[in-house]
Amino acid sequence: MPIPAKAFQRWLHGIAPNTSTSDVCRESGIKRTTLAQQLVRGKVAESTVVSISRAYNVNPVAALAAFDAYLQLADTRPPTRSELVSQISTPDLLRAVLARSAADPGGAPAAAAPALDPPPHATSVKNWVEAIDDGELRHRVSAGTGIAPQNYSAQLTANRLAPELAVATSLAAGVGPASGLVATGLVTEAEAGWPAGARQAALDSLSDGELTTLAGDRLQTLGRALRRQEHDQEKTEKIWENLG
Amino acid sequence: MIEILQWSTLTACALVAIARIPSALRGKNRTLFYIFALMTLAILLSIEAPYLAIDQALGGVNVANLILRLVIFAAIFFMGIRITRGFGAPDAFRLIAGRIGMAVLAVTSVVVVVLFVMMDTGGSSVGLVAVAGQDDQDRDLVQYYGAAGRAYPAYVSLVLLPAMVRAVGSTLPTMVRIAAILLGVGSVAVALTLIFPFYPPNWGAARFVINYTAVLCYVFGLALIAFARVWSGRSGPRPKTSTAK
Repeated sequence: MPIPAKAFQRWLHGIAPNTSTSDVCRESGIKRTTLAQQLVRGKVAESTVVSISRAYNVNPVAALAAFDAYLQLADTRPPTRSELVSQISTPDLLRAVLARSAADPGGAPAAAAPALDPPPHATSVKNWVEAIDDGELRHRVSAGTGIAPQNYSAQLTANRLAPELAVATSLAAGVGPASGLVATGLVTEAEAGWPAGARQAALDSLSDGELTTLAGDRLQTLGRALRRQEHDQEKTEKIWENLG
Repeated sequence: MIEILQWSTLTACALVAIARIPSALRGKNRTLFYIFALMTLAILLSIEAPYLAIDQALGGVNVANLILRLVIFAAIFFMGIRITRGFGAPDAFRLIAGRIGMAVLAVTSVVVVVLFVMMDTGGSSVGLVAVAGQDDQDRDLVQYYGAAGRAYPAYVSLVLLPAMVRAVGSTLPTMVRIAAILLGVGSVAVALTLIFPFYPPNWGAARFVINYTAVLCYVFGLALIAFARVWSGRSGPRPKTSTAK
């Protein structure tokens, strides 16, 4: 649920007193019309709060935690290993597989790997939920928030998750509340308090077997999605051909 | 009210037919042009003033009504073929263009023609209302004739329906799925015409609404698919974000 405009105004006054709305927009790169619209509707988007926080050097997660709906964000628990691994992009995982198989066993470690792509990546939301799912997670989230299971799944498939759902998912899984916001790309790893290099360390801690299995799973999912897309494309072409 | 509905349906269908002329001239999906042209003719023949004018020119024995029935058969037959091919429903295609489908078409056509010949059809009258009023025998014949005329379109519609339901629930482009919804609603409407004799007599308006719902849904559904193609061609193939990289 987005943030009430009143609470937002109070917060804005706290971090940028005596600043006009147009200055705030210029500093934070938000379109004036967008902010005006959100204020008129009485609901301010979480991403607005994040952009303004960054412009005024406030931690966005801490800023969100100041609002009633996001009080839980004040709890800064470190991410689990599986969460960290879930936020490594598939190409990075595949590169790691290749780098390990190329490395001379027992010899000198290969040259330092290039930095991992920061989250979010193409399937980061779904991968994150799968990483923390104990099998009942989706059920608990939909029971707790009232979202229909198919709508929840649709968001995951589209690599999206509304911020309040991301936090609700974290809480239902008992992991750090800000992780979901990293997976959806609302905040960065650093802003969520993930230690620098944590994902690389998690990757390095995977055994060859774990890494290969994981990369294989990712490839299989990607292949299925691509095949489905190609299949749809073919069907659409056929419809065009006969009825276009 | 009904007059407005009739003329606007005619206009919509004629406009779509005209819009298909350029691609028909290029030889692309010419059948679609014929479908829309036949549907335009059918709507024209179901409106009182043009019906009377055309039927008078043809001798005033309601031959225009027979033509109307056969035109509808032809339009629905071609539409069934195109839609089942496009939406990839080989079973439904066989039920329309295969042996069973051709048999149903032949039987209903023959029944319609024979019943027409058996009636005393003198005196132009839309929907053969005046013919039905002549005596008991003609009234029954008009009933059977009407039922036979609705049977074939209803058969094709019911054959199309499962493929449309599948398409609506699929992951095809949104516009194609909306088109499938329209075609599905049109199919249901055509199927509902089958039970017209069981409607209360004062539901005359309902029959009109159902008939024109069917025509409008089919016309807009088919037009939307063509539009979707043009639209997708313009915006170019967009990669899905979920499988990017």
